[in-house]
Amino acid sequence: MSCSSRASSRPQHVQVITSDGRVLLGTLKGLDQTTNLVLAGAKEREFSPLGSKDIALGLYIVRGDTIAVVGEIDPQLDAQIEWETTGAEPLVSIARQFQ
Amino acid sequence: MLPLSLLNTAVGHPMMVELKNGETFNGHLVNCDPYMNINLREVIRTSADGEKFWRIPEIYIRGMSIKYLRVPDEILDMVKEEQSRPRTGGDGDRRGGFAGRGGHRDSGRGDRGGFRGGRGGGDRGGRGGGRGGGGGDRGGRGDRGGRGR
Repeated sequence: MSCSSRASSRPQHVQVITSDGRVLLGTLKGLDQTTNLVLAGAKEREFSPLGSKDIALGLYIVRGDTIAVVGEIDPQLDAQIEWETTGAEPLVSIARQFQ
Repeated sequence: MLPLSLLNTAVGHPMMVELKNGETFNGHLVNCDPYMNINLREVIRTSADGEKFWRIPEIYIRGMSIKYLRVPDEILDMVKEEQSRPRTGGDGDRRGGFAGRGGHRDSGRGDRGGFRGGRGGGDRGGRGGGRGGGGGDRGGRGDRGGRGR
């Protein structure tokens, strides 16, 4: 009983990859059947070959049809990685451009 | 918490909307619907490259074209408050309804019970048929109403 209630109240830290190639991190506060997400304390992780940096964004509602991946992350493990010196090419957008 | 209830709570507040084409719209949310179609007022539109700006008094955005919405942090706490409020109100109303019907036998509520019983019989004649004997249903309820008085 106490175990299950603790599990449900535990904040869910997630990493989201969107179809335009962005990587968002935040606390998942809610979702619906179309995968629209509520991300609290969201930040974007910008990758570049020289290093990566996090940009604080705030409270986000992400529309489900732009989401490619949602994955739970361990914030402690994430903090151990030195993202500032971890270089990577940014993801390529797979979004169709509506013009 | 549902994303759309957060959006509903954000009505009247400033927000930033990015569309799938990369354009962003900053303005106050006037209204929204379950499709995430939104109505913004006092809008600043920014082109996808971030170089051009337009001021627009009012705009309607189709939900399908939205990539994400950025809303003020304090909305999160407001949703929690709103979710706890209407739920208790709704339950209270329903409970009240049942109590009214259950109150046929109560001599104090006899008048009301009788009236509701009569109306209920009329309304549910069609459904009552499935249970076997819609007429019987109506008769039964009429009797009960009588007893109440």
